Amino acid sequence: MANQYEIVVLGGGPGGYVAAIRAAQLGFKTAVIDKDKLGGICLNWGCIPTKSLLKNAEIYDLMKNHSSDFGIKIQGLDFDFERIIKRSREISDRITKNVEILVKKNKVDRIKGFGKLSSKNQIDIFNEEGQKTNSITADNILIATGARPKVLPSIPVDKKRIITSTEAMILPELPKEMIIIGAGAIGVEFAYFYSVLGTRVTIIEMMDTILPIEDREVSETLAKSFKKRGIDIFTKSSVEKAIVKGNKVSVTITSEGQKKELSADIVLNAIGVTGNVEGFGLEELGVELFKNHIKVNKSTYETNIKGIYAIGDVIGPPWLAHVASHEGIHCVEKIKGLRIPDIDYNNIPGCTFCQPQVASIGLTEAKAKEAGYEIKVGKFPFMASGKAFAIGEREGFVKFIFDAKYGEILGVHIIGSEATEMIAEAGLAKSLEATGESIIKTIHAHPTLAESIMEAAAQAYGEAIHI
Amino acid sequence: MDIIMPKMGESVNEGTIIKWHKNKGDAVKRDEVIFEISTDKVDTEIPSPADGVLSEVKFNEGDTVAVGTVVAILNTSGEASTKNKETISEPAHHEEEIKTEYHEVKKQVDETVHAEVVSMPAAAEIKSGSNDLIELTMPKMGESVMEGTIIKWHKKVGDTVKKDETVFEISTDKVDTEVPSPANGVLAQILIGEQETVEVGTVVAKLSVSGTVISKDEIITKTEDLSGSQKKEPVFVKEGIAQPAAMHDNFARTSITEYEEVKAEGSEKSGSNNGSRFLSPLVMNIARKENISFEELEKINGTGLDGRVTKKDILSYIETRSKTKPPQNQSSVEEIKKETPHEQSYEAVKAVPASYTASGVQPVYSSHEVERIPMDNVRQKIMQHMINSRDTSVHVSAMIEADVTRIYRFLKANRDEIQRKQGIKLTYMPFVAHACIKALKEFPLVNATVDGYTIVKKKFINLGIAVAVEPNGLIVPNIKNADEKNIIGLARAINDIAERARTKRLTPDDITNGTFSITNYGIFGTIFGTPIINQPEVAILGVGTVVKKPVVVEVEGVDTIAIKPTMALTLTHDHRLVDGMLGGRFLKSIKDTLESFSENEI
Repeated sequence: MANQYEIVVLGGGPGGYVAAIRAAQLGFKTAVIDKDKLGGICLNWGCIPTKSLLKNAEIYDLMKNHSSDFGIKIQGLDFDFERIIKRSREISDRITKNVEILVKKNKVDRIKGFGKLSSKNQIDIFNEEGQKTNSITADNILIATGARPKVLPSIPVDKKRIITSTEAMILPELPKEMIIIGAGAIGVEFAYFYSVLGTRVTIIEMMDTILPIEDREVSETLAKSFKKRGIDIFTKSSVEKAIVKGNKVSVTITSEGQKKELSADIVLNAIGVTGNVEGFGLEELGVELFKNHIKVNKSTYETNIKGIYAIGDVIGPPWLAHVASHEGIHCVEKIKGLRIPDIDYNNIPGCTFCQPQVASIGLTEAKAKEAGYEIKVGKFPFMASGKAFAIGEREGFVKFIFDAKYGEILGVHIIGSEATEMIAEAGLAKSLEATGESIIKTIHAHPTLAESIMEAAAQAYGEAIHI
Repeated sequence: MDIIMPKMGESVNEGTIIKWHKNKGDAVKRDEVIFEISTDKVDTEIPSPADGVLSEVKFNEGDTVAVGTVVAILNTSGEASTKNKETISEPAHHEEEIKTEYHEVKKQVDETVHAEVVSMPAAAEIKSGSNDLIELTMPKMGESVMEGTIIKWHKKVGDTVKKDETVFEISTDKVDTEVPSPANGVLAQILIGEQETVEVGTVVAKLSVSGTVISKDEIITKTEDLSGSQKKEPVFVKEGIAQPAAMHDNFARTSITEYEEVKAEGSEKSGSNNGSRFLSPLVMNIARKENISFEELEKINGTGLDGRVTKKDILSYIETRSKTKPPQNQSSVEEIKKETPHEQSYEAVKAVPASYTASGVQPVYSSHEVERIPMDNVRQKIMQHMINSRDTSVHVSAMIEADVTRIYRFLKANRDEIQRKQGIKLTYMPFVAHACIKALKEFPLVNATVDGYTIVKKKFINLGIAVAVEPNGLIVPNIKNADEKNIIGLARAINDIAERARTKRLTPDDITNGTFSITNYGIFGTIFGTPIINQPEVAILGVGTVVKKPVVVEVEGVDTIAIKPTMALTLTHDHRLVDGMLGGRFLKSIKDTLESFSENEI
């Protein structure tokens, strides 16, 4: 029966398409529904296109600010903003096409359209005009509809002057001044990008530091670096209102109790995301929600309705593509009946791709103390790394938080060049339950930045060689 | 009058007080049960030797004390009541008194234990050529116990040890026990690693009174027995392995392979493969910090990838363990391993016990879904015996039906009269026992034991009778020289041991040296079953309930249906020794005896 499936995945983002491919590998008759191109926010409007933009910024930053350090003379250095944006879109297009091929290759039926659950076993498919074009049945429905930028009434997004991350990726021209509301990963990445290209950037953050979920030392180091670049940072500040006045947006903030008026030609709303839970039948079926996200059992990813599952951003934080993918795989493997350990939410790397990069896994120093651990901290600055010196990337450090009692790696925090690549080692170490000693005794290649991981661990035990 | 911990058998040196039936100040009549004890052999109730008032109770329930220790004091004179009054009027003073006495008694007990544990330390000191060192030896835990296995070192080399602090834990075939230090000092040297089995009297460690640690390169050759009264000990040539490897202080087995054992007969190595499972550095760290042995680690149910033990698993194991530490638990797996012949080839089988361990972590359950009940001694023993039997014998069951019409009629006609005259209520059991004994004489191989590659044919028949003990116990006492008894004698003997089993009055003798067992599940209405052999026997007979069945019989050449009281008998036999033919013939013999019963046999 063409319209009968064992697993139907609603949403083709990094959670959905990965779950669909894994389901097909496990022998399920699988379909994935998405009204748009596959790849979701990640490939279309998130991870990949922004990393493409950030590379432009990095290169320009290096050329402009450091070429003389390397003895390279550049005259008439300039950039083509339109081309920068276009490159990013081309990459996104190519990669989403690859995903379509990948899905097809794995014999997953790709259904284009808007899926709506008409019962716990049935999904109606609608076209762009809102006409029902098809109806399919499924033994199991996996909701992977993701999330979208959160919008507050005080900051009315018009997608022209007051924008979200999506528009920030395709601005027609480089803004002169930009106010970024929210200093999470999205906010600081755009702050870095536009600031390098010459936009005067102001960051407004409610918490007392930028990247508030990161280790305090890391956040402070990044703030220092940003300030050096000329980025204005207002922490402990909230936005009262943002009003578009002609070509400008005026923003009223309360910063540490004081009202301030700011103005810019673009305001980027980066306060966070909210789950896509509306309009496809969840309410009618009685699927339980919490704070705009779907509530699931985090072992099976089943909702309160038997046979309906949900994974990824739509089930809430940490709103990361790699987590969505893993949840998707885990969910279908559980449906298959495989015996697998549950996802360890204490062992998820988080990355921010501004320069210096920020990457971390596990507990921050403050959180570890809060949790009652007696801790041991090891830190190694890239300043002391020969490789960092050689490549001119001496900013930042590696920081380890160990449990003093058993030697468990509680958290690893890296700020610096290639931090996001280096965090993988810490992830493996944590998932294999390595200890500080395991890291110290692992031979790290010389000369690499990754040696700093070994040195930082050693420092905690008083065994570091190069500091 | 002192009430002491009674000696319950030749090899029993200590007992655990399970329950006080009387409290301090209670009046006690002669023969009334004062307390209940458990030894590794049997559980027994201890009656009062005289009328009186229990004036002191010196140990708590759960305490294990040496045989001969005063556990309570009974006032038999009028003085008792006076003292009792005093107790009430001056409780503080009295408590103190008890405390002092308790300490004195405890000291006495400890000294007794030490006397056993350290065989003449003074002599040892001289032997070792230093006044500083005290040698710790494998203690003698009972008359027939010739060797012991070190389960666990509680201290490592260099550790300060206080007098009376547990230094190591041993397991013998009789009991498991913790061995305390005879003096204050520093553990200078460990000579025998965990899981090593050595003869009684062997020096296993040295304690330095001044705190010197013996260099690990020192080579020691021991040839002399220390106490003289004990058997000559084996000679160990040691080469630089006095200390366990630094990383594995508690996993001293790493050094076992380095031992060169110069022992006449090849004793099996008990060091099992510990590399079968990936243990993360963190889990190893936690195990080391929390003194968890490899054996325990192997028992932990891993929830990680490929069943790996994760941090969470070991931490919740530690939590469970600290809540409910069953005293025998640690050795359970070890005992089973030790008793399993051809250990090397049984690796796969050995993995199985992981699933039954009392404290094995099963994190799939949350605490409100299940109730965790620590197993009592008896349950643990039954569990070990069952698994041991399953892993030892090749169980095969054969079933036959016997027409017991003759016995049925006999019982119907004579039961009441026999009860009146002989004072005994006759059942089918003595008839089955009698038939069984006859068959055992005819086929003595069924009355044998396997000892390695030797068959031990026994010339005596000690017939075991499985007795269910409420609420959930099971014990198999045996009737000694059952072949010397007639049916009435067997009936009396069965009644006697069953009664004593239910009232916890069995002696260790009652449950040792059985040669063949019968289990009567018929009393529960069961028609037939497949019993498990009572080791080291090689067969067991299961007796089903007697049911009237329509049976085809030939009467004057014509098939006709008759109603016959029928009993199904199952013989579970150990196929290592008893093949189908022998088993079949044995069963047939019993059937024939039962069917041809005549009143003359009574």
